[in-house]
Amino acid sequence: MRVFALALVLVVAATMVIGIAGLPPHGDPDGPVHTHVGARYLEQGVAETGLRNLVTAVLLVYRGFDTFLEVVVIFTALVAVLALPSATRQPPQSRDESAAASRRDTDDAVPVSPVVFLVVRLLAPFIAVFALASLYRGHVTPGGGFQSAAIIGAMMIALGLVFGREHAARLVPHGAKAWLQALGPLVFAVVALVGWRLTGAFLGFPADEAAHALREALVVILEVAIAVGGAVILAQLFMALDAPS
Amino acid sequence: MSVVFDAVMLLLLIATAITVARARDLVAAVVKFGLYSLVLCLVWQHRGAPDVAITEAAVGAGVTSVLFLLTIAKTARSERR
Amino acid sequence: MIGGALLESAAVALVVIGVAFLLAGTIGLVRFPDVYTRAHAASKCDSAGAGSVLLGLALHDGFAFGDLKLVLLAILVVVSGPTTAHALARAAMRSGRRPWPRDEGGPA
Repeated sequence: MRVFALALVLVVAATMVIGIAGLPPHGDPDGPVHTHVGARYLEQGVAETGLRNLVTAVLLVYRGFDTFLEVVVIFTALVAVLALPSATRQPPQSRDESAAASRRDTDDAVPVSPVVFLVVRLLAPFIAVFALASLYRGHVTPGGGFQSAAIIGAMMIALGLVFGREHAARLVPHGAKAWLQALGPLVFAVVALVGWRLTGAFLGFPADEAAHALREALVVILEVAIAVGGAVILAQLFMALDAPS
Repeated sequence: MSVVFDAVMLLLLIATAITVARARDLVAAVVKFGLYSLVLCLVWQHRGAPDVAITEAAVGAGVTSVLFLLTIAKTARSERR
Repeated sequence: MIGGALLESAAVALVVIGVAFLLAGTIGLVRFPDVYTRAHAASKCDSAGAGSVLLGLALHDGFAFGDLKLVLLAILVVVSGPTTAHALARAAMRSGRRPWPRDEGGPA
C-alpha cells in the first residue's frame, strides 16, 4: 500500500513537473494567455462591452454563463446544507456519545465576552460601509458583487456569533428569506432574459452607446443581487450549522 | 525581490498545506487552513488580483473557518484512525 | 526642507520601533511556555508592531490624503488585535488551561 502510494505520488509529481516545464514564462507577451482571447479583452473590451472595469466585463459579459452557474452553485450549496436533517429538524433523543458531547459543546452557551461584543458592534458598521463601497465602486476599482457578498456575509456571521442565533436570525426578514436566498440566480435569470429580449442573445448586454444607462442599470442590479443574495446565503449557511442539533 | 517574495510565499503555502493535511486534531487543521488562506491572500494581492485577495481573506480565512468549526462541533473533533 | 526631514526621520523611527516589536513578539510567541504568555507576546505584534509600522508608512514621503487609509488600518489593527488576544485567553481560561506556574519551575 505504501509502495503504491509512493509510486502514485511520484507519477503525479513527475507529470506536474513536466507540465509546468512546458508552460511559457510568467508574463511572457507571446504566451497563449496574452495572444488569444486575453489580448482581445484588453484591446477591445471597453469598446465591446461599454464597461470600464475589465474584470467586471469578463465576469458578466464575456464569461456570463460561468458567473451565472457560479451563483447557482453557491445557492445549491445552501440547498444541500438545508437538506441535511440536522439543519432543520431536531433529533428526538441523543443517539450516541458524540451527539451528547457535541450538544454540550454548543449548547452550554458561554456568555459572550463584553469586550468582544463591544468591538464587533463598533466594527460592524465600518465593515458594512467597506462592503458597500467595494460594491458601489466596483465598476472602476477592484471589488464588486462577490467581494461585497463575502464581506457582508462575514460581518453577519460575526454579529451572529456575538448576538446569539435568535438575534442573528432576525437580520434576515423571515417572510423574504426564501426570496433573498435565491436572489442571485433569480435576478441573474431575469437579467439574462431581458438581455435576450434586447439583443437576441441569452445574457446579452446592449453594448451600443445609446443603451449606456440601461446597460449600467442591468449591471448594477446584477451586482447588488449577487451581493445581497450571496451574503444571505453565507449567513444562512452559518445559521443552519449553528442551529441546535 | 519580487521573485524572492513569491518563492517564500509559495513555499510557505506548500508547508501550511502539508501541516493541514497532517493535522489529526481537526480544530488545529481549521486554524492552519485559516493561515493557508491568509498566505494565499497575500499571494493574490502580490500577483495583482486584489478582488480575489479580498474574497480569499473574507471567505477563506473567515467564513469557512467558522463553518468548519461549527461542523466539527456537531460531529467529532479528531479523525478516525 | 527641515520639516520634511523631521517627518521622514519620524517615519523611519516608527517603522524601526514597529519591526523591533514584531521581532520581540515573534520570539515570544515561539519561546514562551503557555497560552497566556504567548497571547501576550503575539498581541504586541499586532498592536505595537503593525500599528507603528503602518503609522510610519503613513508619514513616509509626507502625509497625503491617501495615507488616511493607513491610519484607519492602524486603528483597526490596534482595536482588533487586543480583542483577539482577549478572546483567546478567555477561551483558554474557560476550557481549563492553567497559567504556567513560574514558582514551580515548569508546566503543571
